[in-house]
Amino acid sequence: MTAATPRLLLAIDRGAATTSVAILGRPATTWRVLGTLAAPAAVEPGTLASTIATRIVAADAGLATSLGLRPDAVDDLPRLEARSRPPSTLAIVAGSRRTADLLASSAARTPWRSRIASPETHDPREMTELVLDAGVSAILLGSGDPAGPDERAALDDLAALVTAAARRRPGLDVVVAGAIRTRRALGGLREREGAGRLVEVPAARRRGGWDDPIRDALASLIADPSDARTAMPLALGSLAEVTDRRMSLVEVGYDGGLLAWAVPPPASAPAGAAAAVRSVHSAAGELVAPQTIPEDVDAVMAWTIGEHDRHRLTDRLRELRGAPWADLSGPGVRLRLAAARAAILRLRRVAVGLEPDEPADIVLVAGGAFAAGPPAATALAVIDTTRRPGTVALAWDAARLLAPLGTIADPVERRTLVADLADDLLVPLGSAIVAATAGATRDAGSPGRHPVGRLQVDGPDGGTILDLVPGDLSIVDLPPGRVAAATIVTDEGIGLVRRARRATVTVNGGVAGLVVDLRPVPLRLPDRRDRRRSTIAAWDAITWPEEVP
Amino acid sequence: MSAPSGLALVAAAPLVEDGVELRFALRPGDRAFVVPGEPVAAGAPIAGRLRDPRTEVLPARASVPDTARPGDRWTAGPGRGADPDAPEGELLFASGRRWRVAGGEHVETLEAPVAGVVTAVVAGSEIRIATGARAIRGRELIGGTTTGRLEVISPRDGEVRATDLDVDLAGAIVVVGARIDAEAITRARAVGIRGIVVATLGTRERRDALATDERGRAAVHGLPPFAILVLEGAVRLPIGASTMAVLDALEGRTVALVPEPAALVVDAPSLALPAPDPTVVRIRSGPWAGLEGAFAGLAGPRRVDRGVIVETAWVRIGDRPPVAVALGDLDRRIAR
Repeated sequence: MTAATPRLLLAIDRGAATTSVAILGRPATTWRVLGTLAAPAAVEPGTLASTIATRIVAADAGLATSLGLRPDAVDDLPRLEARSRPPSTLAIVAGSRRTADLLASSAARTPWRSRIASPETHDPREMTELVLDAGVSAILLGSGDPAGPDERAALDDLAALVTAAARRRPGLDVVVAGAIRTRRALGGLREREGAGRLVEVPAARRRGGWDDPIRDALASLIADPSDARTAMPLALGSLAEVTDRRMSLVEVGYDGGLLAWAVPPPASAPAGAAAAVRSVHSAAGELVAPQTIPEDVDAVMAWTIGEHDRHRLTDRLRELRGAPWADLSGPGVRLRLAAARAAILRLRRVAVGLEPDEPADIVLVAGGAFAAGPPAATALAVIDTTRRPGTVALAWDAARLLAPLGTIADPVERRTLVADLADDLLVPLGSAIVAATAGATRDAGSPGRHPVGRLQVDGPDGGTILDLVPGDLSIVDLPPGRVAAATIVTDEGIGLVRRARRATVTVNGGVAGLVVDLRPVPLRLPDRRDRRRSTIAAWDAITWPEEVP
Repeated sequence: MSAPSGLALVAAAPLVEDGVELRFALRPGDRAFVVPGEPVAAGAPIAGRLRDPRTEVLPARASVPDTARPGDRWTAGPGRGADPDAPEGELLFASGRRWRVAGGEHVETLEAPVAGVVTAVVAGSEIRIATGARAIRGRELIGGTTTGRLEVISPRDGEVRATDLDVDLAGAIVVVGARIDAEAITRARAVGIRGIVVATLGTRERRDALATDERGRAAVHGLPPFAILVLEGAVRLPIGASTMAVLDALEGRTVALVPEPAALVVDAPSLALPAPDPTVVRIRSGPWAGLEGAFAGLAGPRRVDRGVIVETAWVRIGDRPPVAVALGDLDRRIAR
C-alpha cells in the first residue's frame, strides 16, 4: 500500500468473535478515521463498510463526495486486513511429568493450546491416540540434556512412538528438544516424506527468558504476518516511535491474549531507527477457555459481586464462550471484565520474567473483552491487574485499528500512517496514579481512616484537592485533551517510583479521568467472600456511572 | 418486499444444511470396516471400536514381517509357531525389537447413521463419510452416535420431568424443549430412550451426563447408545420457532444424533421442510430473552445499561411497539 495514492482505505480486523471495520479517509493531507463499526464475526466486512459509508454520507454528504465514498462501492476500496488465526493444538510428549511441565511453560508463551502426555499419565496407546488426533497440528517431544533419571528409561520408546505416529501423519510438524534428539529411532523422522516440518532445538531451561529456542521454534511453525496478534506489536512499535513514549499493550480476546512492550529508540539513535518491540501471545489470555475448569471459574468468581453459585457462573461463562456478543447489559459487561481480569493475570503469570523493568508511559487496552465497558471500569480492570507504583496514561484501541495497521510491512509507511492517525487511533481513558502508602493495610478491604497527605490537580478553575487515605480508590474528573500537573504532598512518604514526601507528576485526561489508587501493591482481595464482594462493590460504585432514571 | 436495511448486521446461520460430511473418531486399536470411496447404507457397520483398549507388548518371538508398518493390523495367525497368548490389534511402534500393539477384547460395532460415501479412513484417527442427509446443527453433543424415531414431547419453551418419560418412548429420540434436569435424563436412559434434543443444558446436568457416558464406555457390557444434542448453550432459552417447525415436520421419522458436527441428521433429501423467515430475529438475552420478532431496522448506538453503549436494532415483537435490542443479542436462521 502506498499511503500517498488512495484517499480512502478500509481497515479490517477479522477476529474470532468480532469483525471490525474502519473507513479511513484523507480529505486533505493527512489520514483520519471517518467511521468505525463492529459486529459478530459472522457478519461480512463489506456489510459493515457499507453501513459506515451510509452513515458518513448522511452526516456529511460533501465530504463523502469529495472523497468518492459510495456505500455501494466499498468492496472496491483498498484495504488493510488482519485476521485472528484459529488456535492450533500442540501435543507435548516427554519422559516425565516434570519435563513435560517444563516444555509446557515454553509453549504457554506461544499461541499454541497444549495437551500434555508422559508415561506417568499416559500409556503408549493413549500417547499414540493423542498424537494421531486430527485436531493436533504439531508435536513437541523433549527431554533434559542430559536426560534426568526420571525420564531416561522412556526416551527410546518415546522416540519410536513419535516417529511411528508422525510417519502416519506426514503433514504433522515436530519439534524435538534436548538429549532425545540423539535417539536412533528419530532417524525415521528425519527421513519422513511429506509436508511436516522437523525442528531440533536444545533442551528446555528452567525460568527461561526471551532467549528460548523452544518457544521460538513453536512460534515459527504458525508465524503469519496477517495474524492480528503478530501485527499489533508492530503497530505498537510505530506508536512508540511517533510519540517517543514507552508503550505497553494488554489485549484479551476470544481465542487468546497479548502482552506487548515497545521502547522508542534513544535520542542518540540515527533517524528512522525502530522501536524495540517484544510480545507474548498466549492462549492463556483467552477470555473464556473452550472447556471451563474449576480453577478458571474460581478466578473469575473472585472478581464478581453478583454470582454466588459456581454452577450458575459456569453456565454464564459457557454462554459467553458460545455467544460472545450476547448479554452486553450491565451484568454481562461485569462478567466480561471479571473474566478479563482473570485472563490478564494468567497472561502475566505466563510472562513472568519477560516484562521490562522500567514501566510504560502509556498502557493500551485492546480486545473484545473491553468493547462495551464504561471507561472507568475498563481502566480499573487494567489497573487491578497491573500493579506498579507510578503514573501511567491509559488508552483504548476502540476502533480496533492496531492490528490492520500492523499488517503494513514497510515500517516507514506504517509509521507515516500511524503518525497521521495518532489523534484518532486511540480513545484516551485518562491516567492512573498508583501509590504504595505506608499506611495501606494488608488487603484491599480495609482502607485506613486517616489521610496521610493530599493530592492537588491543577486546573483553570483552581483545580481539585483530594485527601489521600491509604487503601482508597478515587476518580478525579479530568476530561480528554487536558494535561495537568498533579502534586502529592504527604507526611509519611508515598511510593510512586521512589518514596518521597512531595512529588509532582504530569497526568493526561480522558473519558475515565484520573484514577488515584492508594490500594495495596500488590493488590490482595479479602479472603472472606462477603468482604471481598463488598470491597469490589465499593470500587464498582466509583467506576460505574449512576443509573439514569 | 425487501428486507429492512441493516438486517445483514444480524448474525445468521443456516437452519438446515443439505448434505454434510460426518466424522467418526477412531482410536488406536479400533478397526475400520470400510475404505475410501466405498458407499455405505444406513445401519451398515463401519468400524469396530474397542471398549477396553490397552497397550500390549508383543513377545520377542512373535513373528512380525519386516514390511509391517505402524497402523497395520496384527494377528497371530495359525501355524508358524503361533503363540495363542499373543495379542492382536493395531501395531503402534517397535522399540527394543518388540512391537507395541493396541488391542482389547470387547468390541462395539459402529454403524453408519445415514447413507453416504466414505471419503477418508485414517487408522487410529477417523472415518469421514459424505452424506446427502440434512442436518440441524447444535452447540454440542454429549454421548455418541445414536438413531431413533423422532418424538416431540414438549413445546419449544417447555421443560420435561422424569414422570413425563415412560417406556412407550423406548427407541425414540425425544425433543424436550428448553431445559431438562438430571433426574429426567437418568429416567430417559432407563426407559430406553436413545437420545434427547434440548435447547439448553446446565453445567450440573452436563457434568452428570458426561460422567454417566464415561462410566458406560468403561463398563464391561457397555450401555445402549444414548446422546444429548444441545442446540443453544447453557443459559435457559427456548428452541427457536423455525427450528421447532422443522422438528415438528420430522416427527415420526428415523433421525440420528451425531457428534461431529454436533447435529441431528435425517436421510430425507427430498422432504419439504418449513423454511425460516429470514427477517425474524431471536433475542438471546436481556429483558426479552427467548422472544422472537420481526427485524425493523437499525436503531443506532444506545445506552442499554449504566455506561454501556451498544449498537441496537428495532425488533417488533407481536403487536407491541418496536423495542431497541442490542445487535449482539440477536440471531436468525436462514435457508441455505
